[in-house]
Amino acid sequence: MDLESNSVEKQQTEGGGQEHHPSMYPSAMPGHQPGILAARPATVEWNYPRANASSLENGIPSISGYHDDQRTKDPAAFQDGKSALSSTGASTTHDYSAYINNQNPADPYSHAYQSQYYNYQHSTTDSSHQQVGIVQDTGATYQPLSSFQNASSYPQTNYSSTYYNPGDYQTTAGYQPQAAGYQSSDYTQQTNAWNNGNYASHQYSAYSVPDANAAQYSSSPAVDATHYQQQYGQWPGYYNQTAPDVMCAPGTEHMARSSVSGGSSLPDLNQGYPAKSNQPPPPGTTSWRQDPPASSSPYFQGKDVAGFSQTNDWQNRPLVFGNTPRAQAPPHFQQTLGSPTFVSVDEQRKTGYAKSPKMPFTPPGQVRPNFRPALNPLPTLEGLRGSKFQIPTNPRIATNLAFSVSKTDKESAEKDASIAPAYINVSVPSSTGEGTSHDSSQSLAKGAFPPSLRAYVERSFARCKDDAQRLSNQNILKEIITKATADGTLFTQDWDTEPLFTLPATSADNVSKGPQISFSLLSLNKLKRSPSRRAKSRWEPVVEEKPPVLTTNLNPVASDSTILNRFTPKTVAEAKFAMPPSSTFRSPRKQAKKTRFSDPYPVQNGGVSSDSDKDQELTKLLSGAISMVDSPEERRKREHRSKRFEKSQEGKAGGHKNKAFRAGGGRNKKSKIPFTAKFDDAPRLAVEDMDWDSFTVRGTCQEIEKRYLRLTSAPDPSTVRPEGVLEKALALVQSTPKNYLYKCDQLKSIRQDLTVQRIRNEFTVKVYETHARLALEAGDLPEFNQCQSQLKTLYGEGINGCHFEFAAYNLLCVIRHSSTNRELVASMARLTPVAKRDEAVKHALQVRAAVTAGNYVLFFRLYKKAPNLSPCLMDLYVEKMRFEAIKCMSKSYRPTVPVSFVSQILGFSDGEDCADWLRAHGAAITAHADGNLLVDSKATAAGLYMPEPDDAVPHGDSNLAVDDFFTAKF
Amino acid sequence: MSEAQRSVAEFIRRFSDAYILQDGPFLTPLIAVSSCPPSPALFSVANSLSPNQDWGRFLKPFDAQLGEIVNHHLRAIQFFYSGRYADAYSAFEKSANVFLQEFRNWETAWALQPLYTIAYEIRVLAEKADQELASHGKNPEKLKGAGSFLMKVFGALATKGPKRVGALHVTCQLFKIYFKLGTVHLCRSVIRSIETARIFDFEEFPLRDKVTYMYYTGRLEVYNENFLAADQKLTYALTHCNPKRTSNIRMIVKYLVPVKLSLGILPKESLLERCNLPEYLNAVQALKRGDIRLLRRALSEHEDRFLKSGVYLVIEKLELQVYQRMMKKIYMLQKLKDPAKAHQVKMEVVVKASRWLEMDMDIDEVECIMAILIYKNLMKGYFAHKSKVVVLSKQDPFPKLNGKPVGD
Repeated sequence: MDLESNSVEKQQTEGGGQEHHPSMYPSAMPGHQPGILAARPATVEWNYPRANASSLENGIPSISGYHDDQRTKDPAAFQDGKSALSSTGASTTHDYSAYINNQNPADPYSHAYQSQYYNYQHSTTDSSHQQVGIVQDTGATYQPLSSFQNASSYPQTNYSSTYYNPGDYQTTAGYQPQAAGYQSSDYTQQTNAWNNGNYASHQYSAYSVPDANAAQYSSSPAVDATHYQQQYGQWPGYYNQTAPDVMCAPGTEHMARSSVSGGSSLPDLNQGYPAKSNQPPPPGTTSWRQDPPASSSPYFQGKDVAGFSQTNDWQNRPLVFGNTPRAQAPPHFQQTLGSPTFVSVDEQRKTGYAKSPKMPFTPPGQVRPNFRPALNPLPTLEGLRGSKFQIPTNPRIATNLAFSVSKTDKESAEKDASIAPAYINVSVPSSTGEGTSHDSSQSLAKGAFPPSLRAYVERSFARCKDDAQRLSNQNILKEIITKATADGTLFTQDWDTEPLFTLPATSADNVSKGPQISFSLLSLNKLKRSPSRRAKSRWEPVVEEKPPVLTTNLNPVASDSTILNRFTPKTVAEAKFAMPPSSTFRSPRKQAKKTRFSDPYPVQNGGVSSDSDKDQELTKLLSGAISMVDSPEERRKREHRSKRFEKSQEGKAGGHKNKAFRAGGGRNKKSKIPFTAKFDDAPRLAVEDMDWDSFTVRGTCQEIEKRYLRLTSAPDPSTVRPEGVLEKALALVQSTPKNYLYKCDQLKSIRQDLTVQRIRNEFTVKVYETHARLALEAGDLPEFNQCQSQLKTLYGEGINGCHFEFAAYNLLCVIRHSSTNRELVASMARLTPVAKRDEAVKHALQVRAAVTAGNYVLFFRLYKKAPNLSPCLMDLYVEKMRFEAIKCMSKSYRPTVPVSFVSQILGFSDGEDCADWLRAHGAAITAHADGNLLVDSKATAAGLYMPEPDDAVPHGDSNLAVDDFFTAKF
Repeated sequence: MSEAQRSVAEFIRRFSDAYILQDGPFLTPLIAVSSCPPSPALFSVANSLSPNQDWGRFLKPFDAQLGEIVNHHLRAIQFFYSGRYADAYSAFEKSANVFLQEFRNWETAWALQPLYTIAYEIRVLAEKADQELASHGKNPEKLKGAGSFLMKVFGALATKGPKRVGALHVTCQLFKIYFKLGTVHLCRSVIRSIETARIFDFEEFPLRDKVTYMYYTGRLEVYNENFLAADQKLTYALTHCNPKRTSNIRMIVKYLVPVKLSLGILPKESLLERCNLPEYLNAVQALKRGDIRLLRRALSEHEDRFLKSGVYLVIEKLELQVYQRMMKKIYMLQKLKDPAKAHQVKMEVVVKASRWLEMDMDIDEVECIMAILIYKNLMKGYFAHKSKVVVLSKQDPFPKLNGKPVGD
């Protein structure tokens, strides 16, 4: 395995070290490790050597090395387990401890990194074997972040804990599959180059001198260049290999397009695995795990694959980062959660990694079995899913996405307990098999798909009431997405307006369809995702940005644990990847790939690719992958379609599509796509000439009750109620005995449905009037104001309603709100002569006059005969008017004013009430000989103040009081 | 070359000559699309333009910017004279945008005059366009667009150098738009810029712009019931405006009268007659006589006008002064009757007086008004609730406002 393994490795590491490493991704690690072990200088040397070697070798040799490594992985794992493990037992334990420590810290990733660092350090101290083990460990640590880690963890983790491994594997596998798919299609070349170069350098730097390299990576192109080139070379090799794999994947056939990449990778993996160990299917772990492991394992096993995946992941990371990490990460978690084994793994981890060596063996076995399942089409699919998920978690999270990932990790970590944050997170999350599938689909949706599609998927899931429904929903979704992908409409379709399919009452039915479709979908999704991610990276050059950071961080050398850690993981992983690609995989795959993608890859890989180059490459790759999936006919169709979007691009089959994807990368652009696509065929229409009516939603929902949820995406017709249902809903609200919070919620959802359907008629007015009145009664002024302003425009459109009543309310409101008189005058000017004769309006006008004149007597008289709900609004002035009145009276009345008089004038219910109020406001009250209370006006005038409102709440709105919130019944 | 083509070519030649030679006075009349009567050159070209006419070849000799300016300008003229104001506005705005772009690059302020004309024309065209759009049931949004264009112009002028003196003119055009749109709050940023930016020295601006500026800011102060500031600004506008512009004087006096009334200063009847402001006659009479009924009548008679100009509330607030006058009258009558007890005014007397004035008020309301009068310092003294008597101060029981706002 190690034999051919990277010459670099050989050069770098001693034979023994290399051998052990071979398993690794380790190979990459090994190189590093050796260097590390040797001490920084050595590492430096190593790094360069690698670069040189790789460059010299041109991707191919390195690839071969990778392959070897990968293959060796299993062996390595075993070996590690055996030799390394046994020998490394200590080291592994160290690593684990490191992990634990790291985990404890806030960010899983960072911890992991740190742990890795630690590990590295340990390894350095330890013997080469130990180092290897360490390396693996580090890899493991990384794995949480990246697939690499998983791979490395594999051996180690296997020992330590199956959970870990499965999770890692899965993640890695997912990564790989996705990566493979992506890479094979688009990303591979560019991303690889970038990622690899960067990562590799980082890794190196992390280890020792590497810092410099890392710096170079980010800042100095020259140094990096070499690395890059080398890496590129390797990558190309990988790609080629992967490509062939992909080609082979067809062998998987079942999977078809989507699975292609995964499938291809899988086969290799399988091969590698079998050789290593034919272990039965993984026991504890769910199919999920198995699949992911399988996928990942394949890569790992076929170290080449692993290398690919890893590299891919890295590459992907930079580009995709944002998308993949999050989506994927959660899925991982969920998946892991689902499988009990995971939990145990965590525990195991916790308990003792040191002992892990033993454990590892068994886990490896599990893993392998998993892989084999993966070989089967279904498994592959699963693997793909897993891979998808995994992908996100791994690379980018660690590097770019650190934040988002870390969050998820943290969450998961919290759930798990305290142990390994990242890992735990992964494992903890989700439920069982179904969950996994859901997760996968969801994750997929989140990842590479256009946001509108994501929203669509979310919507569809949102209406699922149980797992069965969710499952069927998921399956249907898969079909839809597969179809869309095949049609090339995935990014052009307006998912926002796409009606939701109807859900079968129970979902079990779909299960049968299951695997293939789902797999294909998954794979497709992955593919899709990658493009979008890529595009994102393009627009938001995460990678480019990072480098500077890296440089700064890295330069400080290992001392900056956090920064270094971050980078190191990647670098380590990369190194692993780079190293791992073993010859075995290489040759076949490479060739195969070459045949397919032959031209671009080698060249691009070799040279320093510009962004555009990369994009093209990626697009080519992606297109290739996609095209592979489809029949010639399909391809032709797609080409035709894609031409619409990209007239400028020369048409390699599928290239168009990729472009479209890319264009969709930017969020903004994504959202625009549907429209542009829609209107691309026809001569361009001016915005004002567009038929916006055609976008109006027509609801199909028959539910009468619906909770309000602020839309964050285009409305889904299946959750929108048509007018007839809304009328029932309004009647329900009007007759319900439930409290205002419930009514408000319902009315808001009714209003939302009206709005999205652009229903503006008397019913709309009625809804708003109802809500406004209820809001007034409940003292919910913000809501009232919303309704009021809507009503103003609705009335303005000539729709009938209780116009005058609300004109009166409006007046009463304006008095209160207008800081200047201009608004008040304006709203008075808007009143028609007819309106001015209306009792309510007249009353409001009188109130207005009383308020502006400060005529408190008049005000409280008007208060007593206020029509409709006007008193509710007048309540808002009562306190102010009373205070002004008492100020005025205390200044003008001498020597005293009877409290009874004040009470009567200012509308108090009785004198006692009034006296209390007066005292609360600083009035001086004396008792007269005949028992009557008197306000001593002179003393009062000096002492009046406005007390703090009793019901004041910190957030300023007593309606939002917690008590009410908790007692609210919806 | 037909007659029409020749006239178009001639117009383009004139325009380009003026533009290239930077001859502002010559260029200005060519820009004034809506001027009435139009300049001869504009008039002749307006009659020569036809929808399908292609004048592109006449523009070839010029650089792209000038070509674009003239091209869109000719379109605007053509649309304007065929009554398509919305289209005319759009074309004119395109032309104006290119012109403004070029204007930024010119060191000197030679193009200030043409720019003023553009600022004026774009507002007038936008108003016409909005009328047209509204009549077709479309959203009238051109004036808003003109507002944002003028903000751009203001930005181009708010610089050091000779162009800054044009900033106030554009500001005034902006005021007109904002007042018309009812979005006067948008004035605030421009005002702040004018009054605080160091590049501006208010005295440096042209007088006519200063007067216009003071007029609008004075109106804003009326809205805010900041009568002292409003008085100062409007008085500045009145004293500095062109005495021959009677319509301008009337606009200023229309706001100055209520402001002065609020400060207790009454205008001569002749002024109101000369300025054709009869709506204030009754209010002034009411103040003189203490006749609340007359004030109410004035308010209801001219409600629409007062509401439209925004002085309704100002007039309404004169009520207290009217009551003060009424109390003073009662006090003086009592003094004639019995000087010793004149400073004690019984509530039933006041209620009777208000009945005579057809004001339906009971004793509580009258009491409230008395309290407010005392509270607002319009009447010195106190109110004895037990005996329902207002006890007036023996010294100056009814202080005059003398230019101070009520309640100060």
